[in-house]
Amino acid sequence: MTALSRGSVVCLAWMAATVYLVDAAPLETCGACHRAETQAFAASGMAGALSSARNSSILRALPKLTARIGLYSYVIARAGNESILTVSDGKETLRVPIAWVFGQGSVGQTFVFQMEDRWYESRVSYFSGTGGLDLTLGMEDITPHNLLEAAGRLVGPAEMGLCFDCHATNVVKTPALDLAGMIEGVQCERCHQGAEAHLQAVRARSPGATMKRLGALSTEELSDFCGQCHRTWSQVAVRGPHGIENVRFQPYRLANSKCYDAADRRIRCTACHDPHHEIETSLAAYDTKCAACHSLAARRNGAATRLCRVGVRECVKCHMPKLDLPGAHAKFTDHWIRIAKPNAPYPN
Amino acid sequence: MLAPRLLLLALLACGLAAWAQPDATEEILKQAIVLHQAGNIAGAIQAYEKYLARRPDSVLALSNLGAAYARVGRYQDAIVQYRHALKLQPGYPSAELNLALAYYKTGQTETAAGMLEKVHRAAPEELQPVLLLADCRLGMGQNKKVIELLTPFAERRPDDLAIAYLLGTALVRDDQPARGQVLVDRILRHGDSAETWLLLGTAKLNAGDFPAALADLAKAVDLNSNLPDVYSYYGQALLRTGDPAGATAAYRKALAANPYDFTANLQLAVLLTEDEKIAEALACLGRAQQVRPNDLAVRYQLAAIALHDGKLDAARRDLESIVKEAPRYTEAHVALATVYYRLRRKDDGDRERAIVQKLNAAAQVKQQQGVNVK
Repeated sequence: MTALSRGSVVCLAWMAATVYLVDAAPLETCGACHRAETQAFAASGMAGALSSARNSSILRALPKLTARIGLYSYVIARAGNESILTVSDGKETLRVPIAWVFGQGSVGQTFVFQMEDRWYESRVSYFSGTGGLDLTLGMEDITPHNLLEAAGRLVGPAEMGLCFDCHATNVVKTPALDLAGMIEGVQCERCHQGAEAHLQAVRARSPGATMKRLGALSTEELSDFCGQCHRTWSQVAVRGPHGIENVRFQPYRLANSKCYDAADRRIRCTACHDPHHEIETSLAAYDTKCAACHSLAARRNGAATRLCRVGVRECVKCHMPKLDLPGAHAKFTDHWIRIAKPNAPYPN
Repeated sequence: MLAPRLLLLALLACGLAAWAQPDATEEILKQAIVLHQAGNIAGAIQAYEKYLARRPDSVLALSNLGAAYARVGRYQDAIVQYRHALKLQPGYPSAELNLALAYYKTGQTETAAGMLEKVHRAAPEELQPVLLLADCRLGMGQNKKVIELLTPFAERRPDDLAIAYLLGTALVRDDQPARGQVLVDRILRHGDSAETWLLLGTAKLNAGDFPAALADLAKAVDLNSNLPDVYSYYGQALLRTGDPAGATAAYRKALAANPYDFTANLQLAVLLTEDEKIAEALACLGRAQQVRPNDLAVRYQLAAIALHDGKLDAARRDLESIVKEAPRYTEAHVALATVYYRLRRKDDGDRERAIVQKLNAAAQVKQQQGVNVK
């Protein structure tokens, strides 16, 4: 009954937090008119979701990273502008230059290398929680049979295309993966498709220079839009993962919340997160978002909602608890809004 | 699959016996049959058509012309000739079997199976219609019917490898690996064959051991790339081991060999949809639907494409009908929830979403209990 679908992509959707400098060129062009958005976005985690090994601030700052996992030892060492991954089983050694660094580093970074025109996802990742290397998420059940498998997991071009497409801009996926025009990180045109045509039209003072307004999307449409990379409710509902592994997939978790209403703009992704700014880490900053529905004022305006009997500050601390994701060495905010009782099972 | 040449020869033999009193018109038929036997099909077709212009009710010529059309792949034209012949002379020897074969070749598997049942009932010990019927049933996913049909034949003909192969395939697909293994062993005794590796690979695919299945199926492809279904199953193994590009290529090869390979059509459609090649995906689904008209997975894919194209009402109608028939079809409930939300039918969307949560929770409990959840 179940139609096959493509293999699950171990997408490391690291949450943003660290200020990161990126190539400013594409932002500057949009920034001529949209200065506030582009300036704020340049400092966001999404803008630094991908970097070459050469540009990686973490690999530059940590010139030697080591780990031992099972039979294999791992070293990532800086050599000039390169970072070399060395894997050894004590008898033989494999050395490969790292090509790309996925994730901006607030939780971690995973490395990608190429051998004989094939892509590999490194078996070890950098985790900021420990400041060192450990097993990449999703690799727990993979037993390497040789040095190459110990170095990384072979990733097909289609899957690799999906990885790049979420972490970078202008990625050509079909008919073959083409990174020639790729810009590192999520830049304006990754979300605002047609930005280049819009820019040209504006320069030419041509009518029809308007772009699709993402702000006009409904709550459900926006959830699917952000879910392109953060996973949609339908993707996770059909393909999983189930269990604590899906705590990273915010659109799925949010849509399962009792208060999620596909037609109510107060619960959509951008109601709480300004996509052009770095993520807000102050818990109290979200109180007004909750109060948009759960307050006396909202009830006076017709909202049939309940009021919290415990408090009115830092609502998310209790109702959106931060949960440990095993292997990530980090906690993730669970977007399944609920009355989270101590020791209650993780809702799926 | 089963070569129609034996049937053709039988027909031709009948034809030769009919030449008692040759006249000028009968000479045309004689010439047609000579050309047909010599492999000059285009010439034979021309001659049969010329003859039929003078003797339009010649059942022999109609049937032979059908066989000639079938030989060059003009199955629809062949069907017209066979049906005309059978209308003139119901039960005409071999015409029913040839007509069933033409239906089979054009993906009208259900119709072919119906005709073959009739042929089988008329001559229960004839092996050829039985094998063809079993193959139709396999293509339609009716594994239990294949097992029921072939088990008595397998007992009477333990050395017949075609029976062993078809029955073994049905048993493996029906999750009866132990019984299937007996037949695999029987085939194995006859040496290293593509059929054996295909059977072993299929069994491993069903058991979820995808890398091992891939290795076995690669051997089957190496040994005989023309073996029916081999590329279809190879494609599945490639897909399950994370190589959608390889799977796409394999499915295309499967369809080059048999345009009505159900699995290859369905799975290629899924991949093409993901690559936004909707027109080609729809063509694949159309062929898959010809083989299994009411298959839920095909209907689900068509609904998913309607949803993708923004045809919300069409998608809703299809999905509602699917979940009515298969209330535990999680993907359909997921898609239906999305459709309802896009139609601004929040309560219905919420209801579908709650059903998905319930189904997923139940599936997880089963998984934790070690039950294989498909």
